[in-house]
Amino acid sequence: MMAVDVGGTFTDVVAVSDGTIRTAKVSTDVQQVDRGVVAGAAELGVADATVFNHASTHGLNAIITRSLPKIGFLTTAGHRDIPDIGRSWRPVAALTDPSWRRSFGDAARPLVPRYLRRGITERIRADGEIHVALDEAQAREQLGVLRRCNVQGVAICLLNAYTNDVHERRLRELVGEELGDLPVSLSSEISPLAKEYARASTTLVDVFMKIIYDDYTHRLDAGLRGLGFAGQLNFADCTANLIPAADAMEAPFRVVFAGPAAGTVGSAHFGRLIGEPNLLCADIGGTSCDISLVTHGEPFVNTTFELEHDLIVNALSNDISSIGAGGGSLVAVSPSGDITVGPGSAGADPGPACYGRGGQQPTMTDICLLAGLLDPHGFAGGKMVLDQQLATRAFERLDTPLTFEHRVRYAWDIGLNNIAEGIFNIAIKQGIDPRDYALVAFGAAGPLLLPALADLVNVKRVVVPPHPGLFSALGLLSADQAYGLSQSAYTLLEPGNADAVAALFESMEARLRRRLGTQTDVAIERAFDGQLVGQTWETPFVPVPAGPITAATIEQMVENFHQAYAERNGNRFANIPVQGVTYRLRAVVPTDKVAYAELPERSGAPLRPVGTSVLRFVADAEELAQVYARDDLCAGDEIRGPAIVREALSTTYITQNQIARVGRFGEIGIERIR
Amino acid sequence: MSTQPNRDGSLESTRPARLRDWTEAQFAETYHCDRFTAMVLSNRLRYTVDHMSTGLMYSAFSPIIRDWYDFAITISGPPDMDYPMPAVSSSLLVFLGTMEDAVRNVVEEYGVDRLKPGDVLLCNDPYRGGNHVNDALFIRPVFHDGRPVAFVNARAHQLDMGGTVPGGFSGTKANVYENGLVLGPMLLFEHDKPVRSTFSLVFDNTRFAALLQPDFMTMAEQLKLGERLLLESIERYGEAAYRGTVRYCCDAAAEAMSDALEKLPDGDYQVEESLDADGAGDDEPLVVRATIIKRGGRVEVDCSGSSRQARTCINAGPLDTKTAVGVAFKLLLDRDTPFSSGAYRPIDIVVPPGTVLSAMPPDGAIMLYWEVTQALLAGMLRELGKVLGDDAFGGDYGCVAVHNAHGRHADGRPWSNIGLVGGEHGPWGADRHHDGESYTVPYIVNGLDPATESMELESPVLLLRKEYVADTGGAGFNRGGAAVLKDASWLTDAEHYSIPIRFKHGTGNGACGGATGRAGACWLFEPEDPALRAADGLLPVRDDVYGASTPIAGVLDPVSKAPDADGEYFYFARQAVWRTRAGAVSRYVTNGGGGWGDPLARPVERVLADVRDGYVSIAGARANYGVVVEGDPDLDPEGLRIDAAATRALRGG
Amino acid sequence: MSNHSFPRPEEPTPRQAREAVAGRCDACGESALMRYPLLSEGGWYLVVKCQSCLHSQQREKWQRLGHVTLLTDALAC
Repeated sequence: MMAVDVGGTFTDVVAVSDGTIRTAKVSTDVQQVDRGVVAGAAELGVADATVFNHASTHGLNAIITRSLPKIGFLTTAGHRDIPDIGRSWRPVAALTDPSWRRSFGDAARPLVPRYLRRGITERIRADGEIHVALDEAQAREQLGVLRRCNVQGVAICLLNAYTNDVHERRLRELVGEELGDLPVSLSSEISPLAKEYARASTTLVDVFMKIIYDDYTHRLDAGLRGLGFAGQLNFADCTANLIPAADAMEAPFRVVFAGPAAGTVGSAHFGRLIGEPNLLCADIGGTSCDISLVTHGEPFVNTTFELEHDLIVNALSNDISSIGAGGGSLVAVSPSGDITVGPGSAGADPGPACYGRGGQQPTMTDICLLAGLLDPHGFAGGKMVLDQQLATRAFERLDTPLTFEHRVRYAWDIGLNNIAEGIFNIAIKQGIDPRDYALVAFGAAGPLLLPALADLVNVKRVVVPPHPGLFSALGLLSADQAYGLSQSAYTLLEPGNADAVAALFESMEARLRRRLGTQTDVAIERAFDGQLVGQTWETPFVPVPAGPITAATIEQMVENFHQAYAERNGNRFANIPVQGVTYRLRAVVPTDKVAYAELPERSGAPLRPVGTSVLRFVADAEELAQVYARDDLCAGDEIRGPAIVREALSTTYITQNQIARVGRFGEIGIERIR
Repeated sequence: MSTQPNRDGSLESTRPARLRDWTEAQFAETYHCDRFTAMVLSNRLRYTVDHMSTGLMYSAFSPIIRDWYDFAITISGPPDMDYPMPAVSSSLLVFLGTMEDAVRNVVEEYGVDRLKPGDVLLCNDPYRGGNHVNDALFIRPVFHDGRPVAFVNARAHQLDMGGTVPGGFSGTKANVYENGLVLGPMLLFEHDKPVRSTFSLVFDNTRFAALLQPDFMTMAEQLKLGERLLLESIERYGEAAYRGTVRYCCDAAAEAMSDALEKLPDGDYQVEESLDADGAGDDEPLVVRATIIKRGGRVEVDCSGSSRQARTCINAGPLDTKTAVGVAFKLLLDRDTPFSSGAYRPIDIVVPPGTVLSAMPPDGAIMLYWEVTQALLAGMLRELGKVLGDDAFGGDYGCVAVHNAHGRHADGRPWSNIGLVGGEHGPWGADRHHDGESYTVPYIVNGLDPATESMELESPVLLLRKEYVADTGGAGFNRGGAAVLKDASWLTDAEHYSIPIRFKHGTGNGACGGATGRAGACWLFEPEDPALRAADGLLPVRDDVYGASTPIAGVLDPVSKAPDADGEYFYFARQAVWRTRAGAVSRYVTNGGGGWGDPLARPVERVLADVRDGYVSIAGARANYGVVVEGDPDLDPEGLRIDAAATRALRGG
Repeated sequence: MSNHSFPRPEEPTPRQAREAVAGRCDACGESALMRYPLLSEGGWYLVVKCQSCLHSQQREKWQRLGHVTLLTDALAC
């Protein structure tokens, strides 16, 4: 089995066969992404692979950089500004900034300029009744404008279409007649959920993804077949579940960004192996620290995902909180003389000062280099050399009377503090106690920074999995194939509505079974998103019991809701009626996952370090750390800090108060010495 | 040497002027810890407040807390330091000037010596703590070594606090008795257990008590979390370091604000902004005035000359005025420094009693206070902006014209539609970097825009239009945000309440040569209105549709009732309630945002794009930008062309 | 001046009265000192300030709620 995780700079490829994991890291071919993927696949050999699981950011990147095809947006007359309005709220950082603009607004960089957002004379009411019939002549006139403007696709989102899709379907036919065979997405088809802005933005993203991915998928498939691949090509969705490519292309907004989700799923799968069902998963890359949660073996899933602030897609996604803290976080001095770290980042370009690409400001990576944690010649598998002089000069340039030692030391501590507080905030949000959770550290900088803050967050222990630098790619081999359907229909959950809810599930189930085709022996799970009457947000994935839906089922659904609400929000409002908002079906096809080979126990020579490193700035005094090669480790090995474990794409730092134990599957478990 | 003022007015001249230049010894002498500890602890205080906010937002019932961020969480220092406020949540700016004083006033009145661990105090009185009665303030003392060393505080908007209007959002309440239940400082929890008499007092006198109660418990929970986190920090670093850090947070903010004020040229600045009228009559002017006297790193803002307090509840109190003043300086001059009470050290506010900015009980009712304080804020931004050169920005839509509608479903159940289809959302002005955004909220608040589809499920209304109006954004090198238009069709008989308080003039003043945005208006159309009939329900956006309408408010041609800057002002409270029959339509158009820079310098391609996008009409492009555009923007947008010669002629070569 | 129950002022645009105080400013030397109440960090103060340079010659805490007094302030609790 093979998986590929295409990032903005690098493409990670993993191949697993007979318990052996082989990896490759190639540069992403930004001109033609599939070429890089096929090159990576060629490096590892794809002919025997049964599956090829794919996740890529190039769709997301196209949206973020606005390198987008021209498309039209059709909506109900009077509402063409929905995509500019968003939900209109400002992020915290912008509260005192009158020059802040939402990134996708007409005053900044819209996805679709206003003249290509056309209003159609029609109106459907909240109960699904037609208030104003579709004026086909007027619609044809509007489509004529889009035709003259040579749009390459059309997104259709009419008000209340989630209750009645008749006008949207007719409009698609008219688009075919007036503009020919173009990619078209109907909001009622790809995301029949209430709340028009999220549905509209989802539909826009879906059309973009159709255009971006259509040729891409054909070329990728052809390229892989050309290498002898005869297996199944899957795309990962935002929960890192796998969807066969053809099915994925029916509603490709779902696969716009799987990356961080794969890390969560990979952690959950690995966690099951090592007996850790409760995990805080922290992926620290260059720019950000992405944190997600796994409780009782299940990732915490949201019903929406934001590509940028308030740019929403209604894709099920693992809840990832992003803290502006990473290897590239910039160190600066505030006006009153405080050292600050982040949230700004040096990114990949110019990157940290020590990269030698022109970065002038010091970053966390520069600290790690100066501290003796990073090997200047071993970075990125030896492909890059880090320059200590540049790092030093960047710190010297800071405008502060603090000594050089204090600058680096304080920045290190404050940088770690910021990450720790970010993790703690997520624990509060989700209502969990970090002491019950193991912290999984991965990403380029995760194993480097997270053990040092374990005490600040008070987690049970830190776990560095095998291949932490590529762990997200392994996550793509750690998930199941899943099919899902969802439909909004606001229904008060009372016994009298049992039949309506039953009918809804029946019709959804029929559609899902058609998609499953020959995979008949698959369990279908039912759930709903509900809200307390008077609230405006839903609690998702409340379980619905199996079997016919009767008055008793409705009662159980209400009780399940109160239970889920209490778990998610810490409060129980048993007296307030519950409204079902969205009904969901999920079919999981159990899938082969990566099997981590067991590491043999040590027999013979004791574990020897491959060197030492003098550590500065990261503790009260200079320390001598033992340096080990990860490949040398055996199950049962113990390493006392201060110590460093190096591998091709990652560095693990064990502090002087910690002891690391190598587990059966090669994981490094780090705890405070008691 | 330093000349920054201290709170006692004395001058410090023994240390370097800037905090950043102090030696470690000097730092430790003043703050009783090293600089690094102060950095870490001040971060910790802000994170503590953050964690409490996250907890509140995700576990509260009320959508006003979750979607409108209508709460504030703060930490206050001990009584012997006079209750400084080192950390405040990043929720809404509207609480920044009230929280520090509110905590001091409540605790001092209750009596510091009566406090015990496990106590939580409650107070909602605007005259003691600012804001309005819906904003209940909870205060929990944090004890260390037997004495209170801190207070953790949460203030959040409650759905109802009694009074004559459900929910409280009305501009016609005339005194404190109609306004809502006033709670002076009283014990809400004792030994961490609810004080039944206090809870009874609240629940026996307010609506929706079943919804208030769980949120009261949630707020109390977050305070316990805050106490725990704070005590952990104090245990870890020591009380002396904690006190020093509290002082440091305030001193850093004071220094930053003083530095910021130095950037403004010294002088006396006059601010004057008018509002249309109060809810009692259109017979008196309603003006906020301020004289801003700036000398070096200090400023005094004197609100003398503002109108006396209004006869209905659109007044503000002095602490709300304090908020507006601080926010003005912050937005203009010091955006990045974390806020603390020290930011007010170099700012003195003079406000005589009984003005619309300093209303007095019992007749100076305070409810919609932000309308007058944001007028003051806008006026300050405008006047001070004039001397900030290119950093100035255009004015916004000026007024949250909340529309309230009530009625009954066919089956007799009552429905309410509050704050969804009026002028609540509108444009900001442009600045040097960008055109203005059209759909936003005022600077001092934030909030999630509710979905039309959700609203249409809750009340029998159809939102027929929610879109921008051409030629309403103030012209400029960068264009002001466009006015927002909302048409709502009411499917049952309804009663409407409206208090659109700033339609007499455009409020989106231009900056750096930009033009003022157009003034808005609002109307009602009865079901048999010929314009409605002719349009089959979807009322066009044209000046000829208003002839048979009933204006609610705005400056309109007396015959056509279309917006006309030289027309006659229609006063919104000529009727206390507006009654309509099923099928009626309400229309609101907000004021437009102010432009930035010379419109004749806006690049012609951008004006072309404006016309193509419907932000500017062909006539508007010619009249306001000196750009002549030819073609059909509606049916052939990409076919528009610029008549270069005619444009050159208009723009003066 | 203050009362727990304050009627709407007759004056349409009230102004804060300032009382002239003899003496020269410690900071700038001008003879422009005035006494009046104001609101700042820490609440309400009764100050003597130089009207020329804004230096505070004297600054003492004033009534906690500014112009508002409470009937209960007079109660011996």
